[in-house]
Amino acid sequence: MESPLHHFEVHPVIPIHVMGVDLSINNAVLAMWVGLAVVFFFFIVVVKNGVKTIPGKLQSVAEISLLFIRNLVDEFIGKEEGKKYFPFVASLFFFILACNLVGLIPGSYTITSQLVVTGAFAFGIFILTLIIGFAKHGAHFLSILVPPGVPKIMIPLMIPIEIISMVARPISLSVRLFANMTAGHTVLAVLFGLAMSASVFLGWLPFGFTVVINGLEIAIAFIQAYIFTTLTCVYIGDVIKLH
Amino acid sequence: MPQFEQVGVFSSLIFWSLISFAILLYLLWRYAFPPIIEALEDREKKIRDDIDAAERMKQEGQKLKADLEAELKKAHEKANTIVQMASDESRKIQERTLHETQAKVRQMQEDAQQEIQVLHHKLLGEIRGYTAALTIATAEKFLKKAIDDAEGKRMVNESIDEVIRSLEKQARN
Repeated sequence: MESPLHHFEVHPVIPIHVMGVDLSINNAVLAMWVGLAVVFFFFIVVVKNGVKTIPGKLQSVAEISLLFIRNLVDEFIGKEEGKKYFPFVASLFFFILACNLVGLIPGSYTITSQLVVTGAFAFGIFILTLIIGFAKHGAHFLSILVPPGVPKIMIPLMIPIEIISMVARPISLSVRLFANMTAGHTVLAVLFGLAMSASVFLGWLPFGFTVVINGLEIAIAFIQAYIFTTLTCVYIGDVIKLH
Repeated sequence: MPQFEQVGVFSSLIFWSLISFAILLYLLWRYAFPPIIEALEDREKKIRDDIDAAERMKQEGQKLKADLEAELKKAHEKANTIVQMASDESRKIQERTLHETQAKVRQMQEDAQQEIQVLHHKLLGEIRGYTAALTIATAEKFLKKAIDDAEGKRMVNESIDEVIRSLEKQARN
C-alpha cells in the first residue's frame, strides 16, 4: 500500500533556477494556478456579464461572498478603515479557499498543506500588521505590549508575555491551516488506500467514508479560509485600534 | 512528511505562492471588486432611498388620510346641517302653504256665501216684484169686468204673459 503522505510530494514540472535558487514550477504551483484562475474567471465572468441592479445567480454568489467578507472587515477593522484593507482580505480569502478546494480534486495538490506557504503568508501578515501599527501610531504602537489597566509593577512581566503572544500569532495561524489541510488529505488518502486494497465486499465501507470525509473536507476548506481571514482581520484591527 | 523533507522546493513554493497572490490581488482589486462593490453600494443606497421615500410617502399618506377624514367629517356635518335646514324650511313652507290654502278656502267660502246671500236677496226682490206686478195685473183684470172661471183662467194667463213680457222688456231695456 502506498504511503498516505505520498501525494504531498512536490514534483517539478518546469525546472527554473535563478542564481542557484530553485524557482521551478511544480505540481503544487500548477494546482494553485488552476484554483486562482477559476476564482479570477468567476469574477471576470460576473463583471463581463454586466453588474446589474437585480443580480443573476452568478452575481448573487459573488455579491454574497463579498458582502460576507465586507461584514467581517467592518466588524473587526472598522467601517471606514476597513475599506482600505477589504481588497487584500477578500483576495486572501479567495486565494486560500481556491487552494483548499482545488486540492480536493483527485490528482491535484493543496498548496496550503505546505507549512512554508502558510508560514510565508502568516509571516507576511504579521509584518504587515507591524507596518500598519507603526505607520498609524508611530512609537506609541509599542503600547500594544502593555494591556490597559495593568499595574506598573507588572509591566516588565507583561511585555515579554505580550511579545510571545504576538509572535505566536503567525505561528498558530500558519500551523492551523497547514495541519487541517494535511490531516484532512491524509485521512482521505488512508481511507482511499484501504478501499483500493480491501476486497470488493469490504472495500465499499472505506470508500463510502471517503465520500463523507470529502464532503466534510469541502466544509473544512471554507471554514479554514474563513478562520485565516477572520484572524487576519482581527490582527489588523488590533494594531489599528490598539486594544 | 514530504512537507518538511523536500526543503529544495521551499523557495519555489514561497516565491510562486506570494507572486500568484500578489497578481490575484492586483487583478481582483483592479478589475473585479470595484464594479461589484459599486453595484452593492448603489443598491444599498437605492434601497435606503426607497425606504426613506416610502416612509415619507407613508407619512404624507397618513397626513392626507387624516385631512380627508377631517374634511369628510366636516362635509358630513355640513350636509347634516343643510338637510336639517332644508327640512325646517320645507316644514315652514308646508305650514305656510297650508295656512294660505286654508285662508283662501275660507275666503272663497265666505265670498260664495256672500254671493249666495246677494243672489238670495236679489231673487227675493225679483219674486216680490213679480208677485206685486201679478197681483196688480190680476186685480186690474178683476176690476175691469166680471169673468167666469174659464175666463178667469184665461185672464190670469194673459196677466202672466203680460208680466213676462213687461219683465222681458225691462230686461231688454
